[in-house]
Parts: sequence; C-alpha cells; structure tokens
Amino acid sequence: MSLDMWRKVALLGAALCTTLAPMATAEPWSEAVMPGAVEQDTLAGKLGRAALDTLRERGEHLFIGHFTPTDGVGRPFATQAIVPTKRKRPPQNGFFRSAGMDANSCAGCHNMPIVGGAGDFVTNVFVSEGFESADFDSLNPQFSNERGSNHLFGAGLIEMLAREMTADLRETRRRTLAAARETGEPATAALASKGVSFGTITAEPDGMLDLSGVEGVDDDLVVRPFSQKGVMTSIRQFTVNALNHHHGMQATERFGQRWTGERDHDGDGVEDEIRDGDISALVAWQAGLKAPVILEPEQAEWKAAAARGSALFDAMGCVACHKRALPLNSLEFADPGPLDMAGTLRDGELIEPVTYDLGLLEWASTLPRDAEGNVLVPLFGDLKRHVIADQEVAALGNELLAQRFVERNVFMTAELWGAGSTGPYGHRNDLPTLDEVIRAHGGEGRAARDRYVAASGEDRTTLVAFLKALVIEE
Amino acid sequence: MRTTIAITALLASAPTSLADPVSDIPVMQEEALEAGIDHAYRGPWEYFVGGGAASFDCNDDRMPDLLIAGGKLPSKLYINRSRAGGHLRFETAETGLKPRDLEKILGAYPLDIDNDGHQDIVLLRLGENILLKGGPECRFERANEAFAFEGGREWTTAFSATWEEGSAYPTLAIGNYVDRTAPGAPWGTCHDNALYRPAQGESGPLYDGRALTPGYCALSMLFTDWNRSGTPDLRITNDRHYYRGGEEQLWHVEAGRAPRLFSRSEGWRHLTIWGMGIAEGDIDGNGYPEYALTSMGDTKLQRLDEEAAEDRPIYTDIAFERGATAHRPYKGEDLKPSTGWHAEFADFNNDSLLDLFIAKGNVEQMPDFATVDPDNLLLGQWNGSFAEAGGTAGIGLPTKGRGAVVEDFNADGLLDLLVINREQPVSLFRNLGAKSKAGPRPGGNFVAIELAQKGPNRNAVGALVSVKIGTRTVNRTVQIGGGHASGHSGFIHAGVGTSERAEIRVKWPDGEWSPPYRVFANNFVRIERGAVEAGYWYPPE
Repeated sequence: MSLDMWRKVALLGAALCTTLAPMATAEPWSEAVMPGAVEQDTLAGKLGRAALDTLRERGEHLFIGHFTPTDGVGRPFATQAIVPTKRKRPPQNGFFRSAGMDANSCAGCHNMPIVGGAGDFVTNVFVSEGFESADFDSLNPQFSNERGSNHLFGAGLIEMLAREMTADLRETRRRTLAAARETGEPATAALASKGVSFGTITAEPDGMLDLSGVEGVDDDLVVRPFSQKGVMTSIRQFTVNALNHHHGMQATERFGQRWTGERDHDGDGVEDEIRDGDISALVAWQAGLKAPVILEPEQAEWKAAAARGSALFDAMGCVACHKRALPLNSLEFADPGPLDMAGTLRDGELIEPVTYDLGLLEWASTLPRDAEGNVLVPLFGDLKRHVIADQEVAALGNELLAQRFVERNVFMTAELWGAGSTGPYGHRNDLPTLDEVIRAHGGEGRAARDRYVAASGEDRTTLVAFLKALVIEE
Repeated sequence: MRTTIAITALLASAPTSLADPVSDIPVMQEEALEAGIDHAYRGPWEYFVGGGAASFDCNDDRMPDLLIAGGKLPSKLYINRSRAGGHLRFETAETGLKPRDLEKILGAYPLDIDNDGHQDIVLLRLGENILLKGGPECRFERANEAFAFEGGREWTTAFSATWEEGSAYPTLAIGNYVDRTAPGAPWGTCHDNALYRPAQGESGPLYDGRALTPGYCALSMLFTDWNRSGTPDLRITNDRHYYRGGEEQLWHVEAGRAPRLFSRSEGWRHLTIWGMGIAEGDIDGNGYPEYALTSMGDTKLQRLDEEAAEDRPIYTDIAFERGATAHRPYKGEDLKPSTGWHAEFADFNNDSLLDLFIAKGNVEQMPDFATVDPDNLLLGQWNGSFAEAGGTAGIGLPTKGRGAVVEDFNADGLLDLLVINREQPVSLFRNLGAKSKAGPRPGGNFVAIELAQKGPNRNAVGALVSVKIGTRTVNRTVQIGGGHASGHSGFIHAGVGTSERAEIRVKWPDGEWSPPYRVFANNFVRIERGAVEAGYWYPPE
C-alpha cells in the first residue's frame, strides 16, 4: 500500500467521524496484505465520493494483493465448503490445483482484459460442495464442476437488478397469498419482473404455495445473479465464499466465533483473518467496477457488420434470453444487501448499513435511462436460469453434479456484456470462439441456435462482429 | 451396537465449568399481558406439581394456539392471532366444554387420536382424566365415553403416546403421582401408572387400560426409540420424594405383548432422582438421543454408555462434563440447590446446536432449596458443552416455573417460550433475535417442517426428521410426551446455522425412509408422505 493510500484510508475514517482499526506497522517491503483493516463500525449511512473512493482503493488493494501466511492464507483444517466445515487432518499440499487452495490473489484469475475481468482456461476452478471427498485430486466430473472465471464488471448493477427483481417476485407472492386467504379460493399469479417471466405461482387459502409453475428462479424467489449457475445472492456472499475456497482467507462473518465457536477455524494460526469491514471494501470495489460497453468500431467494415449483427441478434431470437438491457430503478447500492442469509453479513446485523450511489462514478452517470428515469443496464441477459442442453446439442450439459439444487443442464443466462473481451466461452471456458459457444446452445436456446446455424456464413460472421463489440474498456 | 455408539471427539475438549457462551444469545422479551394472556396456575398441595400447557393448531391456520392449565382455576384456550414476525397476540376462546371439564387440570398434551385431522387433547387432571375430541374452529367435546376411555380418579402428572405397530390409534400412557387415599399417604404411596391400548370402534378407538406397576410417582414420561429399533419404549422419570424403593424406569412396550420393565440384567441401571421432566435431543447428531432429566439439584444429561448395546440401555451422565448440571441458581445470592421441572431441547439461536431450556422453581416453600430459582437457558456450544444464558437472555425471572412450551408463536423462525408459573402469571417470551450492541439482530437460518401422512397417525408421531447441512445432520423426533405436563404439535423446528439450503429426509414411523427433500432455509415446509417435493407454507402477515 502506498503512503498516499494510507493517507486516504485515514481520511475515510475522518470523513465518517469514526476511527479505523489500529494499523499494524508494516515495513515498506512487507509482503503482507492485511494491515490497515477497515472497521465495519466506521461504515454507516451514505458514503460520499471521496469516502467511496477510499473504500474502493482498500478493496482493490485486497483484490490484487497476494495473501501471505501472515495474512492468514491457508486452511489446513477447513475445507473449501461454503458452510464452515472442518477437516480432520491437513491436506498434503496447501495449494492444490483441483480442490484448492488454487490462488492467493483474486486478481490471479480475474484479470482479463484488466483486473476484475475474466480468466483464460488456465484459471478454471473446480466447484464442489467441499463436504464429502473435499480433497479430490482428479478432474473427473464426479467430484467437481469445472468452471471458467467470470468477469466482474458491472457486478454492482447486476446485484441491484436482482434485488429489485426479487422484491417484485416476493411482492407478487405476498399479494397472491393474501388474495387466497381473503377469498378462500386458490389464487394464481404470473411471476414477472422487468419484462422477464418466471412462470406462475398458485396460493391456497391455507397459505400453501404451489411452486410447480415457477421457472428459472429458486423456490424462495430470490434471484441469485452470480456464478454461472446463478446460485449466489450477492457480491458479498460470493466474496466470502471465494476467499475461503481459493485462498483459505476466512471471513469472520462466516467462519468466526459466532458460527464456528473459533476465531481460527481453519487452524492456520491466524485469528479473524478478514473482518467485516474489509469484506465491505472488497464489495465496494467490485460493485463499482464499470459496466462493459458497446464498442463503436473505428473500422467501417466492422461497424457495418456489427450493426447488421445487432439486428440479427434480435431476429434470430438471441434476445429472448440475452435481453439487451433491464431497467434499474435506483443506483443506491446498500451493503450488506437485503437478501443475504446467516453467514454473510446482513443489514439487520448493523445499526445502519452503508450505502453509496454508483451514480457518483463517472461511468454510471453516462448510462442510458428510459422515460421513467430507470437506468437501462445493458447486460445482455435476463438473470434467469434456463435449460441449455438437449439430447442433440448437449455440450453445455456435460456435467455430472447438480449444484446447489440446480440441475446439471440448467444455467443462468450468461450476460454478454464484455463478451468481446473475455473469451474463451462456455461455463467450462473450453469453447474458444463465439461461433462455437453459440452452436453449443441446446434446450431453451436451441431454436435461436438453429437459426444461427442455418444462417449464411456472412450472417453468422456479422453476429460475431456485433458480439465482439461488447467489450470491457481498458 | 457398541461400535456404533462412539464417544465424540467433542467430549475430550468439553469444559467442566460454566463459561460465557460464544454463540448468539437470544433476546427474550416477556410480553404475556401485552399478548393477551393473563393466566396463572394456582392451587393447594396437589398443584405443587403440574402446571402445563398444550400448543397446537385448532383453527387450521397453522399458527400454534394454546390450552393452559389453571390448577384449581379453569384452564383457558387462547387462539393465536399473531402475524409473521410481529408481536405475539392471543385471544381467549370458548371451547364448547362444560366448565367442570376445564377445572382441576394439571397438564395437557395435543395429538390427533382419531385421525380426523383435528388435534385432540389429553387433559391430565386431579381426578378423572379427559380426552377432548377436537373439531373445527377450536371446538372440543368430551370423548371419554366415545373412546371408552376410563379416566380414573388418580392424580395424573405425566403422559405420552405412541402408535404401536399396526395400530390405527395411539396407545396412551398415563403417569400418576401420589395415592392420597392410601394409608400413610403421601409417603410411599405412589399410584400405579396406566397404559391404554386401542381397539377399533365404529368411528374411533375403544380404549382398554391396564396398570403399569409398580408406579413410583411419575412426573414425566416419554415414548422414545432410544436404540433406533423402530419400537419406542416408555421412559418414566419418578419423584423419589414420595416413592420407597423406586427408581427411574424404562418399559418395553411391544405390540401385542404385555409391557415389562427393563431389568438390571438388560443393563438398566438403578437411578433415583427427584425426576420431574424429561427432554430428548440428539445433541451430538449421532442418531442416538440424549436425555435431560430434571430434578432437585443436578440435572442429569444421559447418553448411551460405551457398554450399551442395541438391547442394553446403559446410560452415563455427562451433565457435569458438558456444563449442563444447572444445579443452583445462576444469579442472586441463593446458593441452595435448584428445583428443575420442564426440560426441552431446542435451538433458540438457530446456530444448528441444540440448547436446553429448564423451568425452575421451588416446590412451594422447601427450605433446603433455592427460593428464587430462575429458569435456565443453556446454549449449546461448538465444543459440545452448554453455557448458561438465562439471565442475559431475559428469562431469569423470580418466578416458580413448572411446565413450558417452546414454540415459534409468530412464525418468524425464532423459537419463543411460554412458561407456566405456579401461583404467578405465565411468562410469554418473544424471541427478538440475537443480542448485540446494535439491538437484536437476526440469528442463524432455520427450517420448520410439518409432516403429514394418510391414514392413521396423520402427524407422523414417532418419525425421525433428519436435516442434512454440510457434513452434519440435525435430527429431530416427533414425539408426544415428556417435558413437564406440557406438549406441542405442529411444525418441527431446526436451526441450520449458516446453511442456506438443507436436505431433509424423514424416517416415517413405520421405518420407511423418505427420499431427500431439498428445501431453502428460512422457510416453513410441509412434507407429505409420498410427495416428490416439499411444499412451502407462508404465515399470515
């Protein structure tokens, strides 16, 4: 950390009329990442731009830092599981490519085209529950699902969209249950938010809810926008998960004394490895990552092809799932959010959560708005899960294990913003080109895929030209 | 079974002294009067014991209603008008019964005796016990005659029920206290207990009672499948104050056979305590239940001994090493021994570890025992021990606790608590969440499970509910009985800590395992036998 940053951290504390944790003295050449932790108590209410910048700088520092044993890297007596899980004996190797730990920096994988981005095939991770066979030393899919590293740009907008959509779905549920109770008759309602349909629910007068008509979202109607499977609720939750899985850096809010009875759950000799305030800093940095953009190609040929490809994107039906934009009512990002559950810091655990307006950031202030003033988030997705494989086109259903109750051939619609900067593709990151990943769409994507395959070579090329223009600005 | 009854590693590291809990401490706010419950359990000597309540849903809204014993005063029915997450609200309601049927009641247990979908109630009385047949909208009618139930004239203080193999109706066990009419009473004059087995009547059971002798002044009894054999036996805790030559008891109760006591040669060990309440809970998740037995002085916490076997119920007391003796008041100046009554294992902070509630209170004016004796809330710790939090949680009142109900009265996923106090108003504690400097905060995640099966035993009494969270399994058994004169039916609550999802399997009472049901935490779910998926229920808002 630079001296300049130290000063900014101190200024953050002053701006919030609070204090920072006592900073451990660290030599300028120290390899440790953690000194200078942000105290969660200093984070409350609405942050201004300067305070947000300082918090995000701390988050970036943590994101790119290479954690050391002094920081708490390593988990000799804990597995990669999301739920704190002890192991009886340490693994033979602390770092281990398959079961993890598999990195000692977030940026070790999220770096393409810049820090916060995606990763090449070499950064694939192997997702398992971490309960049984936690120390698998095989790439055999009976033990794990192999996943490419997604980019994080626009993640704050994605999370806020998911929160608003969840609120819509839950309000529909509340009204439907109330109607059934009031009338004494079953009540059915369509579940939809922001133009995305999630099927139907039917409430019985006794309060039972028939969820058999629900599509693309979990039974609790929480839109979980993160991970390729769409099973993680928030940046915060994902961050806590990943820090343990990949680095053995255990967040106090999940692995601390409250939920494990221990301050050093992973048994590496470091207590309370990463505290709530530092998780908040990581969240702020990721939430504030700029949204990818649609590149205006300088070359006339590309520009023309992209324009035609854009039209074909709609005509072929890609847009049915890869919706160009979803409207976002507010850019106020609250951390913790309203939907996390025990083990991830929740808003009800604090006197006041911190909020910051992503509109303070230059990139967000330029996002288009609709007539109602909603920000149009150009994600090219629908935050909904779909069946993406069938009998004939099964490449994207090539796993053995369901993940967190989601079937093996079901995935969240990949947001295409940034696709031009983040090949290779597919949830295993094993499809080198956009053409290949389009051809791999089965299931609910099959009709659009078939139109693409049946199209002329020129049309297919122009569609790729359009997708290659969806980039993360460097 | 010797090899399967493992001593857990937890034991080795468990402390031998009380320590402050490191887990969440629930904030329990007393609000009985505000909730609309103004009721006390009163009466002379015969009501020194008892003081129970039944919690059940009698108006089909799935919110737990209450019937609270009044001793010499009339018992009252309270309808739950609470809304999800809100203040507790109850309204008194008429039962449709004659006033005399609601008098002289010491305790009450709910269950659906005749399989009609309505909860019936067993009233434990000073004098004739009464079976109440439940109907729609919380109306009840006396069913002793319809069910050929001879209510007796004893002083009844304990109850449990089980569906024996092949039976359409429950077998009822009645525990009696002192025979006041016997020469020399009350010393050494304990009544026999009784077992009522059902035959098929025209539209319900026809009961035939038989004595369980000897009786040793039972104050709690529980049908429990202690060895997971599939056939529950009947455990009885007895009050040594009045028996002579008595002890704790375990009865074989096998379908079609006469009940018989487990003998010394079968491994049952002689134990004499002032037994007042039984709680069952699988505190270490190994599939075999532990038992808390309340008494005067030490509470016992029993687990199967290394020498136990499938047919040898040998228990060892681990209360001291687990910090669960609760032998004297944890606050105040009174160092005399405690008097424990209702005991119940439950997860008050949803951290997935079982906690232990114990109602405490001097019998009346026993000079050798603590006069001010606050109830205990022993929070389960990750090292296997228990840590006292009654005072910090707010339940440490100077009342004389007797029976109790641990129940989520406002359907917010947090277990609330009703304590029936002798000669004092009941206490009703609303669980506001975990104590923190910022005020009550959310606790761990939970699931609440309602079981249903067609035919007899609709609510699956005797079922084992196994909730898998990561590498751990949280077990709950559906039981009617135990505690002190108090019981509840309805949702089965399990804290699941930081798990957002749980996989639930049910071992139905006939031994058949269900497929795994995948449910999202912080929800109320209904599992119907044979259903492919669990159904979700949402409380009224």
